[in-house]
Amino acid sequence: MTSITFIQSNKDKVLSKIGNTPLIELKYFSTNKIKIFAKLEWFNPFGSVKDRAAYWMIKDAEEKKILKKDKSIIIEPTSGNTGIALTGIASNLGYKVEIVIPEKVSEETKNILKKLGATLHETSDDLCPRVGAGTDQSIALAYAISKPRPDLYYMPNQYENDSNYLSHYQGTGPEIWKQTQGKITHFFTGCGTGGTITGIGSFLKEKNDNIKVVAIQAQKNHLLQGLRNFEESAKPDLFIRREKVVDDWYTATNQKSFDMVKLLAEKENIFVGPSSGSVMAAMQDYVNNYEEGIFVGIFADDGRKFQSLYLQQNLFSKDEFNKYLNSCKHLPQLIYQ
Amino acid sequence: MMSAGSNDSNKLDAKTIDVRGLYCPEPVFRTKIEIERMTKGETLKIISDDPDSEEDISRWVNRNGHELISLNKNNNDLEFIIKKAK
Repeated sequence: MTSITFIQSNKDKVLSKIGNTPLIELKYFSTNKIKIFAKLEWFNPFGSVKDRAAYWMIKDAEEKKILKKDKSIIIEPTSGNTGIALTGIASNLGYKVEIVIPEKVSEETKNILKKLGATLHETSDDLCPRVGAGTDQSIALAYAISKPRPDLYYMPNQYENDSNYLSHYQGTGPEIWKQTQGKITHFFTGCGTGGTITGIGSFLKEKNDNIKVVAIQAQKNHLLQGLRNFEESAKPDLFIRREKVVDDWYTATNQKSFDMVKLLAEKENIFVGPSSGSVMAAMQDYVNNYEEGIFVGIFADDGRKFQSLYLQQNLFSKDEFNKYLNSCKHLPQLIYQ
Repeated sequence: MMSAGSNDSNKLDAKTIDVRGLYCPEPVFRTKIEIERMTKGETLKIISDDPDSEEDISRWVNRNGHELISLNKNNNDLEFIIKKAK
């Protein structure tokens, strides 16, 4: 597989494109008095909201002189977008990246990571059962590799790193405030690390304490990449630090989230990832409870990485998947395509 | 010294990885990578000083259908000989 190399002029250009993503109105879902908007985070250069946290975590480590060009290796346990973002950005800046990833993660995601230049360490649940399964195996291995070699390895750890929160407090939050001219009344986003909801939520509440912040978690035993169910797994430290910004919780089911992915493709002509379907499901439910408002939801990534999942769930046939891929609006070319 | 069996010819032929200084789950992870690179019938010697690796490596070898030919303890070091069985 050919890996991607960046020439210097393109490096600056790529990283300057992180943030300032578009906010579009979803007119099919809006009513006369409630306007619903989606912030399309796949317009970030490596295709998801995670570009923001990854960039801030790396820049913070550079400023603290933890990272050394052409020597340091960034290692992170992740099963998706954070790995892609960290690898893309770190490769741009001259650092090697090793991603510790559960072997059951889709081949599509693994191939993107390899194409961007990551070395993958694949973990299986039988490796060391006492540390748990899935991502818990990956977290244990990433710690085991990085801790004894602090001169070589740096693990950003998105679940604890305040730069994750700050990327949204200083970036995404102000963007939403400006794009809605301060008129936002309700904010919706999914929860994984808690960085997005606490960062944006804290900023918006400081501007207007009446803004309602709605956190979306996945059902138990879910297929919604990027979301967590907080009965199945503990809330990350990063989330707990500022959890008080959350006003309401919404639990998204697999079925309703996938239904919304399809409806968004059919009615709004946008092709989203599963967690954006969850956010849409929450916003649609809330429309019935309020008489007026400006709703904003974070759409974390688009549907391009999810072909195997969508086909497996019978959400789309292969022809339908390709039809939406080719006909939907708002799908910029990705660096790793 | 404890031994789960002995086979001197296997010990002499075995490829060796030294994972001393590494701790769970890295020793078993390195073992898995080396075993995957080998062909059926080859043997691997692993030297570890992480006490948890005694359980981790032994269990992983059994679960995955390979053969733990011997496990020797020498001061703080654990020395495994594993045969790739499939």
